Amino acid sequence: MAQPAFPAKRYSKNTTLVIGTMLAGLALVSTVALTSLSASSIRGASSAIDPGPRPLPAAAGAFYTTLTPNQNAVTSRLTTVMTEVNQVTGGQQKTVGLGPGFNSNSCTSCHAYPANGGTSPPVNPLFAIFNLFGGTNTMPFFITTNGPVVVARFIHQADGVTPDGGVHDMFTISNRTDAPGCTGLVQPDFSGEAAKGNLINRLTTPTYGEGLVELVQESDIVANLAANSSLKQTLGITGHPNYSGDDGGINRFGWKAQIRSLVYFSGEAYNVEEGNSNEMFPNERDESVPSCLPPFPVGSTFHTKGVPDDRVDTGEAPKKPVNFSGDLERFGLFTRFLAPPTPVAPTPSTTNGQVQFNNVGCVLCHQTSFTTPKSSIAALSQQTATLYSDLAVHHMGPLLADGIMQGQAGPDEFRTAPLWGIGQRLFFMHDGRTSDIVQAIQDHFSLGNSQYPASEANGVVNNFNALSPTNQQDLINFLRSL
Amino acid sequence: MTEKSRMNDMSQQSNPSRPVNRLALRVLVPALLLVAVFGVAITYFPKNATGRSPLTSAVDPGPRGGAPGAGGFLTGLSSNEKQILPTITTEFNRAHDVVVTSPVDGGLGPRFNSNSCVSCHQYPAAGGSSPVSNPLFSVYQQRGASNIMPSFITTSGPILEARFIHQSDGVTPDGNIHQLFTISGRSDATGCSISQPDFTTAQLTGNLALRQPTPMYGSGLMEIIKNIDIVNNMNANLALKQSLGIAGHPNYSGNDGSIQRFGWKAQFRAVLTVASAQLNTEMGVTNEMFPTELDQTPGCVINPLPETVTNFTPGILTENFPGDAERDMLYATWLLGPKGVAPTPSTTNGQTQFNNIGCVLCHTTSFTTPAGSRPALTNQTITLYSDFLVHHMGPGLADGIAQGGAGPDEFRTAPLWGIGQRLFFMHDGRTKDLVQAIEDHYSLGNGTYGNSEANSVITNFNALSTSNQQDLLNFLRSL
Repeated sequence: MAQPAFPAKRYSKNTTLVIGTMLAGLALVSTVALTSLSASSIRGASSAIDPGPRPLPAAAGAFYTTLTPNQNAVTSRLTTVMTEVNQVTGGQQKTVGLGPGFNSNSCTSCHAYPANGGTSPPVNPLFAIFNLFGGTNTMPFFITTNGPVVVARFIHQADGVTPDGGVHDMFTISNRTDAPGCTGLVQPDFSGEAAKGNLINRLTTPTYGEGLVELVQESDIVANLAANSSLKQTLGITGHPNYSGDDGGINRFGWKAQIRSLVYFSGEAYNVEEGNSNEMFPNERDESVPSCLPPFPVGSTFHTKGVPDDRVDTGEAPKKPVNFSGDLERFGLFTRFLAPPTPVAPTPSTTNGQVQFNNVGCVLCHQTSFTTPKSSIAALSQQTATLYSDLAVHHMGPLLADGIMQGQAGPDEFRTAPLWGIGQRLFFMHDGRTSDIVQAIQDHFSLGNSQYPASEANGVVNNFNALSPTNQQDLINFLRSL
Repeated sequence: MTEKSRMNDMSQQSNPSRPVNRLALRVLVPALLLVAVFGVAITYFPKNATGRSPLTSAVDPGPRGGAPGAGGFLTGLSSNEKQILPTITTEFNRAHDVVVTSPVDGGLGPRFNSNSCVSCHQYPAAGGSSPVSNPLFSVYQQRGASNIMPSFITTSGPILEARFIHQSDGVTPDGNIHQLFTISGRSDATGCSISQPDFTTAQLTGNLALRQPTPMYGSGLMEIIKNIDIVNNMNANLALKQSLGIAGHPNYSGNDGSIQRFGWKAQFRAVLTVASAQLNTEMGVTNEMFPTELDQTPGCVINPLPETVTNFTPGILTENFPGDAERDMLYATWLLGPKGVAPTPSTTNGQTQFNNIGCVLCHTTSFTTPAGSRPALTNQTITLYSDFLVHHMGPGLADGIAQGGAGPDEFRTAPLWGIGQRLFFMHDGRTKDLVQAIEDHYSLGNGTYGNSEANSVITNFNALSTSNQQDLLNFLRSL
């Protein structure tokens, strides 16, 4: 991954400020924060220091307290299906269908922190997973024990020209004892692709509160984009929705807002991340090795009879006779029922931080809130979702560009990441390139080149760097309060 | 050729007889082929509004009578699966009003094309396509709705949905469905006042693209055909395909990288996606995959969203079940593929001709499903006559709309199973005459689009003896 080289022009402009405020900044914060200094590669033009993630207990991960009794009655099933560990065969009735390729074996292994439904935990879970049941996978170089859970996509296909953009699963079920007879699947050559500059990574996105996000009306998103247009223009901010070709609605999930809704998200993730084919993506992704496709010759042991591995449950073995949709719909409901993260109570510092957040223009993309319309799920009805996102995609410059187009999101465009819950977030930016929230802010800055225009955030990041050290620190504190 | 003239012409073709002297055409055929051989890119025959006129004296025997060769569910469904046939059939047939009174009811609008799945997916049996008599005339002004019927919807014409090629600036691609009707004026939608799109202007400016319903029989089998089998079939007979100008490629899903296979441009991956999208785009029923309304004008978002949702009421299976989208999905995935009639000497020779001249190079005879988690779908050979690929079809068919990997002149090879009882052909239902439909595959390139990939095959067809041509038509009408 390209090192976020600091633009020389801007650096010189702020050198004095950097040096001058560094001491003040050090004086302001606790010594705990010093560790984050050494951990981060290049410091931004700011003396503010990331106080680090707020400690547990998690301020997220609970279901709405306003669910109806009938909805509450199914939440335990939803949690079960989110946390269940998938195998190829065997195990329990509902826990089969892994592979042929996979990134992990359960939803919550990646959506783990600070609670179920979230994102990367401190210790990378993939090391405990990749060679279960005698698997013979090699861990890709970009997965490290204390690094983020990321997926791999290739920019181009093997010809170096045709766009790819798809997720290439890190692991295979070859040689696993629960995949009898399956041999010959090959992991992608991640090192080779990286050497060609063809590898990009994306971090797990948290799912808290997404039931509200899903319901935000397109008319509100469009009206918000059109608001404050002269101010946005001054700062170089534009942005546009990533419209769905299916219904003309606005896609809103994923790093490029490439996914329309939670059921869609669940269906894709189940197949792409775990290899569980389902009623939205009904085939196995890698069909090249017949011995690695269902059904496996395992006699009476639990296994899927064929594709899709998961389907609406009509009660036949190997599915439990619970008569209640498929995993796909259950994942969708789980995330729909997850309440948003709860911020901590404001302090004078965070209150001023939010004022600065608004003044420098962060809020022009990280829109504070939307209100949902009336919903058939009462818990989601007419709720204010304080998500800090405009649900639009923006040009972010060459340093963040990942070269991959998805729908109407270009190779240098990303969805404004919602900031709710960021107070306990461990890794930042689409590829988890930093754990330092100050660095993450600076990573929004990128001058244009021949390929991509300048980041739309440049004006705002300049404004941030021009703030007094106190105001910068308050802004950081505000973010860590979310 | 504007869509308007095309459709006007079509509406006049209420019977399969064609307006040109076939004997004269037979005489002209050799000369015309000669022109083609020398590559003189001229419009070598006076074009009528539907494209090239038939160069054959064979006659479409017309849609096959008798019992429907389609409809009904797969044999081999389990007893549990059979238990829910009533609820999914009810949902598929339900006429939706605006106001939601239960988790599986209502939700029509604010914009819609029709009010039930079955109204458009109707013929020759539930799950199919356009019926003889256009059902929209009994739908569009229900409950006092103030809709005007667009001119391209006629009483004996096909059901069509409308898409606009460009947005109002005339430049930005649109491509979305613009629903024919609104709920304004309906007694169950007081307070909603929105206008129908201006279809007349869209037609006049060449901005209107029309598409007819695709039949859903056998969809559950189609959706689990392996991607690798589709790719292998694409790579078979390459030299022969190349010599005929046939290429074709999958419309890949950006989500999981698999091959999409439903819709006129293969723009949908799975039946569940189709069912969910159509609930919203055809009827305006918001659901768990497409949860927001198509038009959010105040006063028109009448129900809490989404309008159909998982039913949490505990109880028997049919109650404690997912929402309408999943029910419609199950209905379609469990529908049998169409059944043809027994072969005759004529249809047997017709299939030989179909293969010999190269129709089969795109209209691939069959695929076999892999092991399925539902036994009824497992290891079934489906004789669908499609390669699931999209192909360039030339300016004569191009509709100017790109969808995913399918370009503005590309269409999915339409599956031919069930075509024996089909009433309207081509993506916009431009003809009821199967002979014309074959000829409509022919189109010379222009400044915008290349030649149709089917040109050589059509030329081959036209070079067949009348008897062989007729056998080929009889074969198609036997499907």
